Amino acid sequence: MNSNIRFKIIIYFTIGLLFALLLRLYYLQIISGETFAEMASESVSRRTEIAAPRGNIYDRNGKLIVKSIPVSAIAAQPHLLLNNDEAIELLSDYLDIPADDIREKLENANISYLERVFIKTGIDKPTMIKIKESNNRLPGVEIVDIYLREYNYGVLASHILGYTGEINEEKLESDLYSDDYSGGDQIGLTGLEEQYENILRGEKGEIVYEVDPIGRPVRVIEESAAVSGNDLYLTIDIDLQKITEEILYNQIMAVREKTLKNSDEHYIVPGGAVVVLNAKNGEVLSMASFPTYDPGIFSGGISSQDWEYLRKDENCFPLNNRAIMSYAPGSVFKVVTAYGGLEENIVSEYTSISCSGIWYGLGSDFPKLCWKKSGHGSLSIRAAINNSCDIFFYTLGYGLFVKMDNIEELLQKYSRLFGFGDYTGIDLPTEDKGRVPDREWKKEYFKERIENTVWFPGDTVNMSIGQGDLLVTPLQMAMAYSIIANRGIQYQPHLIKEIMDQYGNTRAGDTISNWKDIELDEYYLEVIEDGLEMVTNPGGTAGYTFRNFPTGQIPIAGKTGTVEVYGKQDYAWFASYGPIGSPEYVVVVFLEQAGGGGSNASPIAEKIYRYLFGLDQ
Amino acid sequence: MYYNIGKNNMSRELDLSKRRRRIKFDILFFLSVLVLASFGVLVIYSATRSLIPGGETDPQHYLKRQALFLGAGVFLFAVLQFINYRKIKHFWWIPAVIGILSLAAVLIFGYEVNGSKSWIDLGLFPIQPSEFAKIFMIITLAAILSKKRNEKANHISFKKVIFSAAAAVIFIVLVLLEPDFGTALIFLVIFIGMLFISGANFFYVLSALIITAGGFVGALQMGIIKQYQLDRILIFLRPDVSIGGAGYNLYQSKMAIGSGGLAGKGLFLGINTNLNYVPEHHTDFIFSVIGEELGFIGGFLVIMMFGFIIWRCFHIASRSNNSFGLLMAAGVGFMVLIQTVINIGMTIGIMPIIGIPLPFLSSGGSSLISTFLGMALVSNVFIYKEERRDHEIAYDDFSDEL
Repeated sequence: MNSNIRFKIIIYFTIGLLFALLLRLYYLQIISGETFAEMASESVSRRTEIAAPRGNIYDRNGKLIVKSIPVSAIAAQPHLLLNNDEAIELLSDYLDIPADDIREKLENANISYLERVFIKTGIDKPTMIKIKESNNRLPGVEIVDIYLREYNYGVLASHILGYTGEINEEKLESDLYSDDYSGGDQIGLTGLEEQYENILRGEKGEIVYEVDPIGRPVRVIEESAAVSGNDLYLTIDIDLQKITEEILYNQIMAVREKTLKNSDEHYIVPGGAVVVLNAKNGEVLSMASFPTYDPGIFSGGISSQDWEYLRKDENCFPLNNRAIMSYAPGSVFKVVTAYGGLEENIVSEYTSISCSGIWYGLGSDFPKLCWKKSGHGSLSIRAAINNSCDIFFYTLGYGLFVKMDNIEELLQKYSRLFGFGDYTGIDLPTEDKGRVPDREWKKEYFKERIENTVWFPGDTVNMSIGQGDLLVTPLQMAMAYSIIANRGIQYQPHLIKEIMDQYGNTRAGDTISNWKDIELDEYYLEVIEDGLEMVTNPGGTAGYTFRNFPTGQIPIAGKTGTVEVYGKQDYAWFASYGPIGSPEYVVVVFLEQAGGGGSNASPIAEKIYRYLFGLDQ
Repeated sequence: MYYNIGKNNMSRELDLSKRRRRIKFDILFFLSVLVLASFGVLVIYSATRSLIPGGETDPQHYLKRQALFLGAGVFLFAVLQFINYRKIKHFWWIPAVIGILSLAAVLIFGYEVNGSKSWIDLGLFPIQPSEFAKIFMIITLAAILSKKRNEKANHISFKKVIFSAAAAVIFIVLVLLEPDFGTALIFLVIFIGMLFISGANFFYVLSALIITAGGFVGALQMGIIKQYQLDRILIFLRPDVSIGGAGYNLYQSKMAIGSGGLAGKGLFLGINTNLNYVPEHHTDFIFSVIGEELGFIGGFLVIMMFGFIIWRCFHIASRSNNSFGLLMAAGVGFMVLIQTVINIGMTIGIMPIIGIPLPFLSSGGSSLISTFLGMALVSNVFIYKEERRDHEIAYDDFSDEL
């Protein structure tokens, strides 16, 4: 074979090889080019979320209560940082946090597969610069801009506002917090912050950028700005809130100084609540709960000492909003019994019942006592309300029980009519339903002990004076009294006056207020009101408290309550509204283990009325 | 056939019978080499403009370096045109000794890059002796295999085959010791190609292939070649493997090239390569930059340029009337051919991933300058050829050595 042929073979061989290269190139670039192009751009781009400023919260007069402030936070990817002791030490040094604390945070997050965990929020400029400069030695650590809450009024209204914090794993996985959330996001955890999370949160922005193989950003491809959340305008008057909380605090401190009758024992008063409603529409003007807490301590992550403090028994659970927790109502409930008694013709407004201090309505084996051992003598319903005569209401309750063999459970029916045993529908996430006990409930509740499952007449009789198994919230009580004030119109208590978007457009306004006519007999309500009016006048159970109050010009309808609670000191209640004639406000006061409602709870209401009507200026 | 370039008539058919002998220069060959290498400088700039983390701080570092090497290459090329290659044959043992000594030296004084001890620092700059050794081996083999005055045209004696094989084995073994399997493979292909062109019996060529295969299997069995090394080389057969090691390179390279489409993303705009997603994208994987930035059109033109240069090498070889020149030019042709096919093939996933540079285009002085040396030899063979008589091999002027 001569060399020319050999060369020809080689040339064909060369052409074949190069043609194979071209064919393959054609396949990669022309046939699957688009697929590769997509893969390629995906592999080089990353997205980062831009946190949206949470909406502000204002009071009814436009005073700023809660705002969002931008802060820098140190975030870390646990899987990148966890095994890097050097980086953890460095970070610990820069942030002044013990290395073990950082490690613990990372480990906890790593176990739950969180992508990002905040090591510290709110870092200062020098620290930031230090961390930026040590970028290479701190893999997986980044500086993120987030928004935290700042509270202009400190602890004021904390139970209403609630607090914010980092979303946890459980919530991230729940349907409620859909795809829009990611680890490290700040969300409302309690109160209005939780209730109106979707309104307040805004819309996150996003930056899409190119990164090099080690994840460093190179170029921004796409950027969308964050949209700040909507602002809330509350029904709360922050000045009134301040007064309310102060009065509540001062009174509790004063009551704690007092001792029980014939004893050295002081009142404990672990807690209390005040609700002030606008009687005309159900707006909550102020709502106080004692003890309180500073929502600011949750901003950027609560310290473990603070958290422990808030959860300790001896500190009486400051996080609880006692205004929407349920307690036995005692005598303040008697208005419901009174209405039922009148409506069902157990008594008329003129019917007199004699009180000798002891009542044998349930049989001679079951004597029931009036709180006044000497008895009230002969009373009609107005005086019975004024004097809070137990025996009068035992009689009513028993009458309601006996009527049609209690098939309709009339007292329960009227309780529910006044809103007890159900949510008021206030826009707070943790509202208690309370409890209106009835046959069904008792059967279920005591199913372990058959002998207790029967509904006895004594149960209704106990309930008629607000004792027994009845539980109501101060807010429910306020709503019930506003029903009396409005002659049967029930306004739903609510906290939001207006929702405004970032451009100042109202998203929701007057429609927030819900009302319904529960069709009560107006005259019977007037009769009850007559009794309530007497309470704040000389001779009434709160007469002493209101001795200096101009009840002539501003007549107040009120009712005191003192609840006997097994194993505890008496609970004190005072429910009221005023002025009679054209009611503007409903004020309900509740104190745990604070003795008499007349002596210890009603002074709070009196002082609030003084403020509301401008009497002290 | 030769070419008339414009009116200068710089290159045309030489007709000794009618005219006085004149120096002829294959200008088109030189121009295509120059264009391709200059294009390489541009692509390297595109690939290295964005700094490699932990690397140089000057974005034009690689651009300047490569331009400098290109200048050196062109200078060497020019100088070598004035030396008749036939004189080189007379001193063939000098490149043989230099080649072998430098390969031996790198084993002693060299330093490791990517697991191969293939670099040696000469103080001014590091060089890769195995790149130059290719050229030295080509000269050595051409000298050994070339014809003596009385030899038959299409026959090679057994003695020469053994002798040339021994020379090739020395080169190959030294490169294997670094160890650099890729470069060793190039040496082997050059040897077999030259053996084939020299007119050796197919039996010898076949034997060389069988012995090589046997040696490879033996090396694998004895653990000289580790399984992981084989896996790495053969990763291209498993396109599903996309992460880790060589599979990552290949995956990223295929993605970058594929994303170039028909016309590419534009020079300097190749995101995936410029952002260092493709490792070694300025050296062994330079073709992925071309594929991404210039697309199929760019890749097609580059392969066509290579095709032209390779064809030209073989053509000049086939037209040479001197068997030493013929073998040398053919050897260079094989060198460019096999490196081009394996390098481009590996970036597009049809060839094993062995770390060899793409001639003219990969960043690196040793590769570029040695390629230019090879080109200079081919051009030299063109210039100093004699009229070739039909179906005959001319007798060498200095062919008494063997």
